[in-house]
Amino acid sequence: MTDMLSYPEVTQLAVPFFIAAILIELVWIVIKGKGGRYETRDALTSLIMGAGNVASSILLGFIAYGFFMLLWRITPLDLGASVGVIVLCFVLDDLRYYWVHRFGHRIRWVWASHVNYHSSQHYNLTTALRQTWTGTFTFMMIIRAPLILLGFHPAMVLFCGGLNLIYQFWIHTEAIGRMPKWFEAVMNTPSHHRVHHGRNARYLDANYAGVFIIWDKMFGTFVPELDGEKPDYGLVHNLGTFNPVRVAFHEWVGIWRDVRQPGLSWRDRWMYCVMPPGWSHDDSRDTSEGIKRKHLAHHPEDAGTPGFEH
Amino acid sequence: MPLDILLPMVIFGIVGITVLLHLLGLSHPALLGNQTEARTAWLDEFGEDIPTRVILSHDHRAALIETPLGNGIVWPMGADTTARYLSDAQITRTANGLRIDLPDYTAPRIHLTLDAAEADLWPTLLKDPA
Repeated sequence: MTDMLSYPEVTQLAVPFFIAAILIELVWIVIKGKGGRYETRDALTSLIMGAGNVASSILLGFIAYGFFMLLWRITPLDLGASVGVIVLCFVLDDLRYYWVHRFGHRIRWVWASHVNYHSSQHYNLTTALRQTWTGTFTFMMIIRAPLILLGFHPAMVLFCGGLNLIYQFWIHTEAIGRMPKWFEAVMNTPSHHRVHHGRNARYLDANYAGVFIIWDKMFGTFVPELDGEKPDYGLVHNLGTFNPVRVAFHEWVGIWRDVRQPGLSWRDRWMYCVMPPGWSHDDSRDTSEGIKRKHLAHHPEDAGTPGFEH
Repeated sequence: MPLDILLPMVIFGIVGITVLLHLLGLSHPALLGNQTEARTAWLDEFGEDIPTRVILSHDHRAALIETPLGNGIVWPMGADTTARYLSDAQITRTANGLRIDLPDYTAPRIHLTLDAAEADLWPTLLKDPA
């Protein structure tokens, strides 16, 4: 068994590239006067969230890694470490990312970790770094278990996950319009991912892909960016603070407050944790489906168009 | 990557980018050009609750919104805006205007820069009629 595999810590090695790319995008926007927006406190919050994510990985990463190594010990399968296996691992891990990301938008417990990534009203390269501090507590490491049990070494799986995140960095920009058609058809691109960050009713819960947009096309969650409808970035209800601690933990606090409401059944308390964001026991809030339904009530002409097809 | 390289790189990166953004003049809070813009900013957050009255602050940095569901406030979040209802708000006079404390983890405190006349008037208007 290839017990002692090791790969470079690619996300940490990419830090100088991240900084350089942000500076290049910023200079581009300032010189050209187009291609995106930057604001000091928004960017600072995103950067601190990114640093916090790295710190969280260093402090808590042993939990996921320990879990993966346990699975590695019990699986009889070992696919080795050839280039072909790494490529296969990368593709399958991207499929894993799609589902974790989709759960992140459809299960409030997971959304509580992911929400901060959507909390900026800007869309630039710093937004890519606005990463979670609490991912470990979502237990989404379980979704990686099949990969390990199939014989992909944990170090390889984490290496591929790191490459996946690095790929996603460059698509957080308005400076790039659309890529060539063949590329847009297969890969996640700035255009596809702008849709994912949109709070427009049309764009909610769409384009979960990490690297390959084909997963969204396969599983029915793909919505193209429409020239006539620019994404409005941020949350359905935008935050009123730049405090990174509040950004990181606000939805966890929201869950805590909701489940402690007096007079709720245990089923309702459970539902506040696992139902989609916006679910409430008395229907006083809107889920993304409710928001889309209300939009169509005011704009019936949009029915059947991208984002309103179901 | 060793921590003694990673840590300084992250710290200098964050500080450097932040200072550069500020020096480039990208720290100005949003301006609400007129009542229509303030109304739009409110509707961006609470699209179903149509404002019945909009009062802009003298510096166009905030707006008091009256709606059928209660009073609210629009204020800058950097270059953008956000909005909240004012139920259970605690309002305190400050040297530059008002401080609004909300029982909301995502918007715990709002500092409004108001002139003296506004600072006298707005607390009476901010009180929710409900």
